[in-house]
Amino acid sequence: MTAPAKRISRQLMRMVLLTCVIVIAFTCTMFVTYEAVTFKQSVVRQLEILGQAIARNSTAALAFDNPDDARAVLAAFSADPHIVAAALYDESGALFAFYPGTLERATLPAVVGTGGYNFVDRNVLGFEDVSLDGQKLGTLFVKSDLKAIDERLELYALITLLVVVLSVLLAYLVARHQQSQISRPILALAETARAVSDGHDYSVRAGRAGTYEFDQLTDAFNHMLTQIQESERRSRAQMGRMSLLQHITAAIGDRHDLQSIFQVVLRNVEENLPIDFGCVCLYDSASATLTVSTVGAASRGLAEPLGLLEGATVPIDENGLSTCIRGRLVHEPDVRELPFPFPRRFAEARLYSLVIAPLLVEASVFGVFVAARHTPHSFSSGDCEFLKQLSGHVALASHQARLHGALRQAYDELRQSQHTVMQQERLRALGQMASGIAHDINNAISPISLYTDSLLEREPNLTEKGRAALVVIQRAIDGVAGTVSRMREFYRQREPEMTLALVDLNRVAEQVLELTRAKWFDVPQQLGISIDLKSDLAPGLPGIMGAEGEIRDALTNLIFNAVDAMPAGGTLTVRTFARPAPGETQLVRVEVTDTGIGMDEETRRRCLEPFFTTKGERGTGLGLAMVYGMIQRHSAEFEIESFVGKGTSMQVTFPAYTQPLMPATRSPEAHVSLRRLRVLLVDDDPIIIKALEDALTGDGHATVAASGGQAGIDAFSDALRTNHPFELVVTDLGMPSVDGRRVAESIKSRSPDTPVIMLTGWGTRMIAEKEIPPHVDRVLGKPPRLVELRVAIRELLG
Amino acid sequence: MAVLKTLRNLALGALLLVSTMGAAAPSEYQVKAVFLFNFSRFIEWPREAFPSANAPFVVGIFGHDPFGRELDEVVKGETVDGHPLVVKRVQSAAEAAACQILFIHHTEDQRLAEAVAAVASQSTLTVSDVPGTTQRGVMIRLVTQDGRIRMRIDAEAARAAHLTISSNLLRSAQVVSAASEGANP
Repeated sequence: MTAPAKRISRQLMRMVLLTCVIVIAFTCTMFVTYEAVTFKQSVVRQLEILGQAIARNSTAALAFDNPDDARAVLAAFSADPHIVAAALYDESGALFAFYPGTLERATLPAVVGTGGYNFVDRNVLGFEDVSLDGQKLGTLFVKSDLKAIDERLELYALITLLVVVLSVLLAYLVARHQQSQISRPILALAETARAVSDGHDYSVRAGRAGTYEFDQLTDAFNHMLTQIQESERRSRAQMGRMSLLQHITAAIGDRHDLQSIFQVVLRNVEENLPIDFGCVCLYDSASATLTVSTVGAASRGLAEPLGLLEGATVPIDENGLSTCIRGRLVHEPDVRELPFPFPRRFAEARLYSLVIAPLLVEASVFGVFVAARHTPHSFSSGDCEFLKQLSGHVALASHQARLHGALRQAYDELRQSQHTVMQQERLRALGQMASGIAHDINNAISPISLYTDSLLEREPNLTEKGRAALVVIQRAIDGVAGTVSRMREFYRQREPEMTLALVDLNRVAEQVLELTRAKWFDVPQQLGISIDLKSDLAPGLPGIMGAEGEIRDALTNLIFNAVDAMPAGGTLTVRTFARPAPGETQLVRVEVTDTGIGMDEETRRRCLEPFFTTKGERGTGLGLAMVYGMIQRHSAEFEIESFVGKGTSMQVTFPAYTQPLMPATRSPEAHVSLRRLRVLLVDDDPIIIKALEDALTGDGHATVAASGGQAGIDAFSDALRTNHPFELVVTDLGMPSVDGRRVAESIKSRSPDTPVIMLTGWGTRMIAEKEIPPHVDRVLGKPPRLVELRVAIRELLG
Repeated sequence: MAVLKTLRNLALGALLLVSTMGAAAPSEYQVKAVFLFNFSRFIEWPREAFPSANAPFVVGIFGHDPFGRELDEVVKGETVDGHPLVVKRVQSAAEAAACQILFIHHTEDQRLAEAVAAVASQSTLTVSDVPGTTQRGVMIRLVTQDGRIRMRIDAEAARAAHLTISSNLLRSAQVVSAASEGANP
């Protein structure tokens, strides 16, 4: 750093000395030139004066013809060593006297010149008239060399040199002293600059030197420092904000719920930007309102006077908020100047500067970030830019959190669906198995059913005891058939076309209570538990359209659940009532309420899921699922109220059927046909063949049995050929090789008028689903009841 | 007039030149005539020496006149401070009193004292070529040395007569003192 300073001082010195030398040299040159010119003139002038004086003194010498005197007078020239020759001529031009005495006469001019002085060969030659009272007496010749001029010039050169040397010396001393006045401020400035650059301390200022130019320089330097300081402060602030932004972004990156994200953001901004108040509001475009979602932890004290507590709503007014909702950042440096209600709130809470930044995702605003400070005009453009960028990050993080939530929900739903599909698959497999079992059981109990019916009808001699036993058997068969029928519910997916009938809910409720008596009365009593039944059935209840069996099953399930929920006893309430609904319709409701253990939230939420059970191995998890299926098929509503430890109330509401109740259809009476028919029985099960033969022959019909489908077709063809045809064919459906459908088709192709009755272990379902195969006139489920058989024969053959 | 003067000056110059060269020299009294004229220019007379402002400046020749017309020719037309120069031949002491310059020829040796006494109380320059080693009361004595005419001037006598002699003239002449003459004959 000292090298340039030295150089400046050296340069200054050089400048000063050079100037000094030039000025003095110029001055001296001018002076010497002037002297050289004027000295010549003065030499001539002196010579002239001298000549005139000598001439005047020579008058007497000439007048009185005294050459000695003339020589004496001329000798006066010896006073001037530069006068090399002098001579006096008389009036006629003859040489009168000369000086010096040693002079060669030949060097004198032979002829007297006219008056005047001339330079000839570095000499001055002059002729002066010698006259007295206007009368010329002679002429004086003077010759002087120019050595005087040379000497003078030499002297001047010497003086000039001396003056230059002295001046330079003096100038050097002065400059050396003065240059410090110039170099010192520069060095001071350099020192300041070094202090600034070494310490990065831009608050240092250079002192003023006291001279105008240096003060200008110093002021400019200090001004520059001020600007650098300001710029450095700004970039530090910017760095701080960047780092804060980065910190916040990192902090919210792995959070997936909005509240947590907003809290983190607000806390960081409150502490580090900082701000005096901050909150995040979510925007509801439908109602054009903002709802305060999160208030910063340090801002809660101000949130109440502002009316911005969490959950508070703010209408969008016509200034900043609407601008912000349109996606632009709003910056109000001083809210006291604004008349609008939202900024007024801030002005009243003495929060004078306000920034509202939109939370923008895919060009739509879903919320705003509100930041405020007490001091007006305290948000710099950098702060605003920071808040804008922060809002962008927050919006993105929020959006990601929402997407994450949606993804998670979708994933949960998918998993649930997969679970359900698996359960349904299990159910389908179970259903197939149940179907097979049901078929076999139905086949197995068919002879029992037929024989029991036949015995009760046709053996008048039975003892009372035997008849009673047969009745029990008949009921048991009915029970088994019912169980098998219910078992089918497991695999029956849906009734494609549900047969609706007018149902009286009160009657169904009574039946169910009677049927389930064992469950809610007998069993608990044996266990020493007391369950009180309260039956509150509203009289004159309107009917509903529905499938009575399904409703009955559903109610049974509800009562079973209610009883199971009261292991320590309690009150079971079954209640029906009607209430008006919008329009002219009415609603009919049935409630089953217990005072049991109740359900927690998790159980309540999941209780309708298939296979969800709280009963462990005892439960199938299908009860409420079946109830829910019934409710959906009937367009009914299902409500569950439950409190842990207090009990549960299950409420099913049906739309009322406004038509009056019709009397229930009477079941057809069994009449034995009067005709005696020739019947072909086709079945692969000999026991069923035997039972059917016995039953039909008992009614007076003639039967021919064919074991298997092909045998049946052959027997029918033989009968036709021998002109002794069958009037009726009763065939099983499921047979190896040639099944019941093929048999029926074959019969109809040979004799279209011959009725075909089909028996099947799946018969009930077939009927319900109207899957009666072609060429079959009637389908009867197994076990066939004698009554049903008789009705079918009578309807088909009169 | 101008032509004449030029001629005269030329003549004098020639005379001096010739005399210097020692050949065809002008006559002695030609030179002495010029000398007399030249005295009027190197010596100042007091105002009282003239009876009036335009009174003539009289060059008197006491007794014998050696000049002939030479002197007349020299002074013709000349003036001294406005006084016209005239030549007057005087024979008596009374006549000599009116002269500003009085020349006494060496032939008038006996009457020299008389002439000097006649002008002793007035401003008259006395000139003589009387030989001898003393001034004998004459202010300027013309002597011939080495063939040249030289002047011996008694400056004190001239001063006593209120005559102011130019230093040029004094330097060119030999200044003597009447008082020292006795001791230095």
